[in-house]
Amino acid sequence: MSRRIKLTVVGAHNLVKRDVFRLPDPIVIITVDGNQTQTTTPAKKTLSPEWNENFEVTVMNSSVIAVQVFDHKKFKQKKDQGFLGVANIQVGNIVDVTVPGELERLLTLDLKPSRADNVVSGKITINISSQLGGTALTVPGQVSRSNSQASMRPATPSGTAVPSALSQPQNSYPGVRAGSSPANGRRQLSRTEDEQGPLPPGWERREDGQGRTYYVDHNTRTTTWHRPGLPSNATQTVGRQPTQLASNQLEVERARMMQRTLPTGPTPVPQSVPSSTAVTAQPASTSQLPLPAGWEARVTPEGRQYFVDHNTRATTWHDPRVPRSNAPSGTPPQAPRPPTQPLTPQTLASSLAYEQQQRLATLGPLPSGWEMRMTNTGRVYFVDHNAKITTWDDPRLPSSLDQNVPQYKRDFRRKLIYFRAQHAMQKQQGQVHIAVRRSNIFEDGYAEIMRYQPSDLKKRLMIKFSGEEGLDYGGVSREFFFLLSHEMFNPFYCLFEYSAHDTYTLQINPQSSVNPEHLNYFRFIGRVVGLSIFHHRFLDAFFVSSFYKLILGKKIVLKDMESMDAELYRSLQWMLDNPIAGILDNTFSVEEETFGVTTTFDLKPGGRDIAVTDENKQEYVELVTQWKIETRVQEQMKAFLSGFYEFVPKEIVSVFDERELELLIGGIADIDVDDWKKNTDYRGYTENDEVIQWFWKCVQTWDGERKSRLLQFVTGTSRIPVNGFKDLQGSDGPRHFTVEKAGDPGQLPKSHTCFNRLDLPPYKSYELLVQKLGIAVEETVGFGVE
Amino acid sequence: MSSSAKRLQKELAEISLNPPPNCSAGPRGDSLFDWVATLQGPPGSPYEGGTFFLDVQFGPEYPFRAPKVTFKTRIYHCNINMHGQICLDILKDQWSPALTISKVLLSIASLLSDPNPHDPLVGSVAAEYLNNRQAHDKRAKEWTQRYAR
Repeated sequence: MSRRIKLTVVGAHNLVKRDVFRLPDPIVIITVDGNQTQTTTPAKKTLSPEWNENFEVTVMNSSVIAVQVFDHKKFKQKKDQGFLGVANIQVGNIVDVTVPGELERLLTLDLKPSRADNVVSGKITINISSQLGGTALTVPGQVSRSNSQASMRPATPSGTAVPSALSQPQNSYPGVRAGSSPANGRRQLSRTEDEQGPLPPGWERREDGQGRTYYVDHNTRTTTWHRPGLPSNATQTVGRQPTQLASNQLEVERARMMQRTLPTGPTPVPQSVPSSTAVTAQPASTSQLPLPAGWEARVTPEGRQYFVDHNTRATTWHDPRVPRSNAPSGTPPQAPRPPTQPLTPQTLASSLAYEQQQRLATLGPLPSGWEMRMTNTGRVYFVDHNAKITTWDDPRLPSSLDQNVPQYKRDFRRKLIYFRAQHAMQKQQGQVHIAVRRSNIFEDGYAEIMRYQPSDLKKRLMIKFSGEEGLDYGGVSREFFFLLSHEMFNPFYCLFEYSAHDTYTLQINPQSSVNPEHLNYFRFIGRVVGLSIFHHRFLDAFFVSSFYKLILGKKIVLKDMESMDAELYRSLQWMLDNPIAGILDNTFSVEEETFGVTTTFDLKPGGRDIAVTDENKQEYVELVTQWKIETRVQEQMKAFLSGFYEFVPKEIVSVFDERELELLIGGIADIDVDDWKKNTDYRGYTENDEVIQWFWKCVQTWDGERKSRLLQFVTGTSRIPVNGFKDLQGSDGPRHFTVEKAGDPGQLPKSHTCFNRLDLPPYKSYELLVQKLGIAVEETVGFGVE
Repeated sequence: MSSSAKRLQKELAEISLNPPPNCSAGPRGDSLFDWVATLQGPPGSPYEGGTFFLDVQFGPEYPFRAPKVTFKTRIYHCNINMHGQICLDILKDQWSPALTISKVLLSIASLLSDPNPHDPLVGSVAAEYLNNRQAHDKRAKEWTQRYAR
């Protein structure tokens, strides 16, 4: 009796290295009893390849599945075809296919030589499954990979993280490698056909510089990514070649990044300030029109209507919807700030009037009723004829008085306008030309960006990829920063590593000095990050929250450890909460294992001789936290900041908090709420509970920034895994976004970032939920969640 | 001496003076961070009569981080896989510096008496445990005979 099963060739590990100067392009050939030959596409230059390809074969218990690994580059050679090993699977020994029902086996097999005289090494991982079809394509591999990573972690001190990062660089950015390598595995096809047969007349198939296939319609002289004659979405799923899949993945990442935005439109989103006196209905025809963004209508205790402009924090009797000439005259009910003795931030004061005028000219017109004037010393000030007040503060910029006004403190948009209006953030006259090769973007980018003075790089960026047409009107530099961020943060280079928490937030690799040039690279990376902010571009990179705090010069606290190293965080927290006498014998020192050598570092002078007691443990926890997060990487951070601050001065960037800085660097993603909802788990709730329905209703109504902030609140980052929410990682492997019923309806929601969990109290009404969730998401940064 | 080594010496003295029932543990060689432990299959369980060897690796940040404990002897158990990895909360997110290797071994012994099929590492064994306990116990006994004697 035979049965059709799915074989997934997950990957191999530690293959034999036959050549001194070259790594093989491993390819797997599968046969069942000498028939049903199936071939993977070649992996590129690696001894630990990953294919994650599925094949369906028909087997009996007596079948032998031969899994052979070859070097694709030598496959045509007569001698041994670049043989790298074989593993034979006797089906009956693994599963009984005569028994119906689900089967699933993940096998890791030693590779064996085919003849006695050839030497092979390594293991290959194969998954056998009864579940046919392509949807579960990479799941077995991913599950096993993350399991093994999770189980390795406790025993893997940061020192040994380097080799593992080296051995699996392709985990991190599968798309980059595959994307840069055209699909070699295909047979030679003419330009008018592809794997699915001939193209319609007049069509031609081409590949772009990255090996992506596109189609040219000579009839209409257009090009498209979609194969003609197929519904456009069908091409997305056609074929199971990993190159195609991986480059699709890169496409997903690219598309996602290109969609990221920042809220910089001319008018801020209105803050919904709940007010019992807000007027909703008015008989006049103008009241049918919506108020301008940021405006609100209110009534005085005497019943007279007035208008609040939250943008300028001014009030007026004048209805902003009515043209000025019709305005009723009168005095506004209150003057929002004293008209004389104005204050101004130091940065504004130091600017020259000429420069100020120049930059202000870029901000667009003043609000109606406002006028800009100059003092006899050349300083610009503003007159609000509506409110009959004067101020130094530009009404188009966030007010320096915002610090005392909580609802504005969070107004990222206003901060951004302020930030970008600063003199230091203005582009210089002229252009700067940067030419790089796509395939060598890291080194070329380094050479180009480091040879210029910062003042040159503040000119208009003109990026050119060699061998490609295209003028940089924005698109090319966006692509440049996208590709460069994939390269320079790739853990393969040992400059950055993934945090222990997940596989997508980055932190500085404390062992980066394996590269003697590392500090120059950190300065370069600092420049690139600063440059991308300066030129309003995004990077496809997300860091642990403490990294942003270090950029802002903020104090590191124990809570910052949670999203980096949950195990240590829990132990240090335990230490604070429990008596340690007789349990812990620590001194004010730490031991670190680096490449197999354990070294002791003092946390304070003579620390290794000072015992930690219940009296001084608070200090110890602070010092350990600071050491782990800050001290270990302070040289790298210093180099990074020296490059970063060349473009974004510290005093200007510090208007943002760490979460806003994440959004500034990475942009606000367009979050797919349906995907999010589909991959959410519940504890104590079910999907149909009213509170859960309210929760999603609330999330749906939020704009991108608030959704990102909710994600930051619960998961510690606004980053979404490439494949969507199903791949969300927690501190111990995959962890879906989880909503747990916890807390009292009077309390705010809480979060546990190491488990991607939101503790949502069972609120009694939608309005209450909206209010509490809004406060929790917007107000908790820097306070530490209880 | 480092604080982790100091703590391990204390644990070693304690476990030698006052070993938990049916367990033993101590350094494999010169290193204080690399231990071997044995566990007798708990009476009344299908593992009775077996002697199971375990590897215990401590890191330099012990006890801030859990030790890594793996079975070296094969065992038929839904929370222990073919690589000897153990699915036990106190070795993961429930670890606390107050735990010691002696308490860990006791917990593993109790895991042998009472498997946790609702949070399995080996799904097929857990399913068998729940659906056909007799067959499960028979297989577990066979494996004990074959591998743990």
